[in-house]
Amino acid sequence: MTARLTFGAAVLLVLLAAASALVGVELGKGAARSVSPPLAKPCQARAPFAGGGIDGLIQRIVLDGLDGAACRLGTTREELVLSLRPGTGIRLGHADQSTVEEAIRAGLLRSVDEAERRGDIPGFLAPAVRRLVQTVPLARLIQGGISLGDLLR
Amino acid sequence: MLALPELYGHFHTSIEGVSWVVTAYNAAVAVTALALIALVHRVRARGILVAGLLVFFLASLACSLAVSLPLLIAARCVQGAGAALLLAASLPVLGALTGSVARGAAIWTLAGTFGIALGPALGGVLTQVFDWRAIFAAQAPVAALGLIAALAAPRRAALEEGWRSSLTRTWPANACLGLLFGALVGVLFLAVLLVITVWGYSPITGAAIVSVLPVATLVSRPLGRRLGGLTAICGGAALVAAGLVALALLPSPSAWLAAAALAFCGIGLGLAVPTLSDAALDPAAGLARSGTFTVGVRHLGLVLALASIAPLLAAGLPAAGRQAKLRAATVLLDAPVGLSTKVPVALDLAGEFERARAGEIPDLAKPFDDHGAGSDPKLAATRDTLVGTIEETITRAFRPAFLLSAGLAALALAVALVARRRVLE
Repeated sequence: MTARLTFGAAVLLVLLAAASALVGVELGKGAARSVSPPLAKPCQARAPFAGGGIDGLIQRIVLDGLDGAACRLGTTREELVLSLRPGTGIRLGHADQSTVEEAIRAGLLRSVDEAERRGDIPGFLAPAVRRLVQTVPLARLIQGGISLGDLLR
Repeated sequence: MLALPELYGHFHTSIEGVSWVVTAYNAAVAVTALALIALVHRVRARGILVAGLLVFFLASLACSLAVSLPLLIAARCVQGAGAALLLAASLPVLGALTGSVARGAAIWTLAGTFGIALGPALGGVLTQVFDWRAIFAAQAPVAALGLIAALAAPRRAALEEGWRSSLTRTWPANACLGLLFGALVGVLFLAVLLVITVWGYSPITGAAIVSVLPVATLVSRPLGRRLGGLTAICGGAALVAAGLVALALLPSPSAWLAAAALAFCGIGLGLAVPTLSDAALDPAAGLARSGTFTVGVRHLGLVLALASIAPLLAAGLPAAGRQAKLRAATVLLDAPVGLSTKVPVALDLAGEFERARAGEIPDLAKPFDDHGAGSDPKLAATRDTLVGTIEETITRAFRPAFLLSAGLAALALAVALVARRRVLE
């Protein structure tokens, strides 16, 4: 009887140890770490978009511009992008539409300046790009700078 | 339980709304059973059993035909009342038919265990092959067969019962059972929602994962017989708590880790519940009365757990959904794919998020697949990262609810330790 109890208790202890080990495995696999990717702070410099060609250049300008706008608005690039489409349920409570638009255009202009300084945009083309940023409806600019793409082609 | 994700989508409801389909049934069982305690020994058990099966049969048909969530919940209430009647009466009837209180109680407990074992798998198959209505439609003929059998049973199929006015002797065992059944809500309700709604498994695959729990429960029965009563209860409650902590700490969607955690929960239930069920029955106080009492307390535990777990989960999901969208935006913005693909995918993804806000289950992979992820490895990698990030974020949102369930199991362990002399009296 004692032997049976001892065997049963031993199995129970093994099971409890295995359950603890499972928790250990989960912690080892990152259960205590936060989910990646983390949301980057927009006012801190980050590695530029790595794509090449005209498409990569446009994405670099748009993404840098969105970072600049988000920094100016005190939000993140992701919140800013999602807030532009009503159905996503993300809203910037503290900024009205004209403030957001102004911040995005300012961010993009600064991004164009940077691109010109790096030599990514030829000097003769930069004024036309700036004019485009200032005049093209915001929705078109955010939808990936398609108009910029059209111009550069 | 396995129909819940489909009900969630079908009725465009919330987590709390869909939880009422389960809560209403269990609340009706608890209220009816607890109200029956004072009456059950005065009425012939066979009569109560027939009435219970008839109510259950009709309510199952009504559930299968429900055209709205309120109607389904109302039918579930009636079904729960019928279930309480048949559960309360079947114990003394089984005792009489087998000629032994112990044998009748053993079959009663075993039938309950098999019910839990077969339920998820059968529910998953029916939901996938037909739809959620099939689960309730399938219950009706089973109830009808039971009704025929009950009517064919000898009229005086009821045990001579003892009488002790108080059921307090069984309180500690019933308190532990109520808490463990509350923890079981965490295991089944949360695990089913997680595996099917968040991780996107089919009902049959979801059933296969969740069925690890009842299989482990059945497999662990021989071990339970080798352990002393208190050791089985305390060890079982500790394993349930540990399994739930493991479910809470799932780092990312993983069927294997979830199945392992469910296995520990199942083994724990298999060790603790049979011992507690024996201790919760007091033939000297009337088999029907003590059986009805323990049915009521178990379902009360389920209801209280659902009433606290569902709102806790529902409160955490919006913030998690927001985080998931923001991380998804990060993945998509930084994705190494061209604008001609990125923009339409982003617009379609926004449409999927709108579907999610309307209560539907979004298909986040579809925008990528529609725009060539099958032939574009970079787009496919972006799809996998984005879907993984969202699933991981939502999976983490289940953590507080799983931990609360683990707390219930830990409380059962504490009650068993504090009342160790009385729990097995």
